[in-house]
Amino acid sequence: MDFLRPVFESGRIDFKGQSLASSLATMLLVCSGIAAFGVGYSMERLSLCFYTYVLGIAVTYMVVLLPWPFFRRNPMVWLARSSNGSKSTLVDSPNQSRKTLVEDVSDDSDDAH
Amino acid sequence: MYNILQRLGGITSFAMSTLMALIVVISLTTPLLPSNPTHEVTLHSVQTTTGRMVDPFDRTSRSAEYARLTFDVDADLSSMFNWNTKLLFAFITADFVSPGFDTNRVVIWDRIIRSKRQAKLRLRKHHNKYLLRNYAMSFRGVEAANLTLHINPVPYLGIMYDKSMVSIPFSIPRPEKASK
Repeated sequence: MDFLRPVFESGRIDFKGQSLASSLATMLLVCSGIAAFGVGYSMERLSLCFYTYVLGIAVTYMVVLLPWPFFRRNPMVWLARSSNGSKSTLVDSPNQSRKTLVEDVSDDSDDAH
Repeated sequence: MYNILQRLGGITSFAMSTLMALIVVISLTTPLLPSNPTHEVTLHSVQTTTGRMVDPFDRTSRSAEYARLTFDVDADLSSMFNWNTKLLFAFITADFVSPGFDTNRVVIWDRIIRSKRQAKLRLRKHHNKYLLRNYAMSFRGVEAANLTLHINPVPYLGIMYDKSMVSIPFSIPRPEKASK
């Protein structure tokens, strides 16, 4: 099933979008449950109640599952990468804790020196 | 809620929880729905005869006393059909006290009502559908007999319960040959 991984792992949204998606899914599903009860009771048909609920689930999938633009309005802003080379910082730094911090970063900046 | 797979799992599990809640709400509110059925049972006569239990032409099979009732039923149960009613099971029981047994209950007639169209019962001079005999083979000492109409609404979702509607007392006579 590895070939499906890019399909599943696509559609990433930002943090604000995740919170919005979570509350939107909760609200839509609860509202569709209430609407399903109302429709089934007023039409006197139990099957109509569950068809309405299935329709509500489908709408929720459409709205929340796909990475719509309104979920990606607040992209994460990362700090700019430090410009000086990692090796030299490691040697020159007098602060021990700062040294380890820079050491962690040094893995992916081999081209700096 | 980070990528599509996580959102799929989250939405689906919450949708199933909401579905369960919907089912519980439907099954809990169904007994509270109003209904006003009308019902009446009239008993015309009770005749008692003796008959052989297994084979009427086999002299070695034991004989027992059987009661044959003649009754009228007038009922309009159409208001008991709501959105969560699959069918109504209507049945008449004869309850009586016999020596040694405090509770005897025999179903003598039943009917499955599947729709509102069938829910108006109007039976005239109807006899019992199932045989009525005492466990002790004879009606000697049988007293406090009662004829009761029960309605059992069968829902699509939820619990089943019996509704006993009308109860009329009667007496079961002994057959003429036995009482002599």
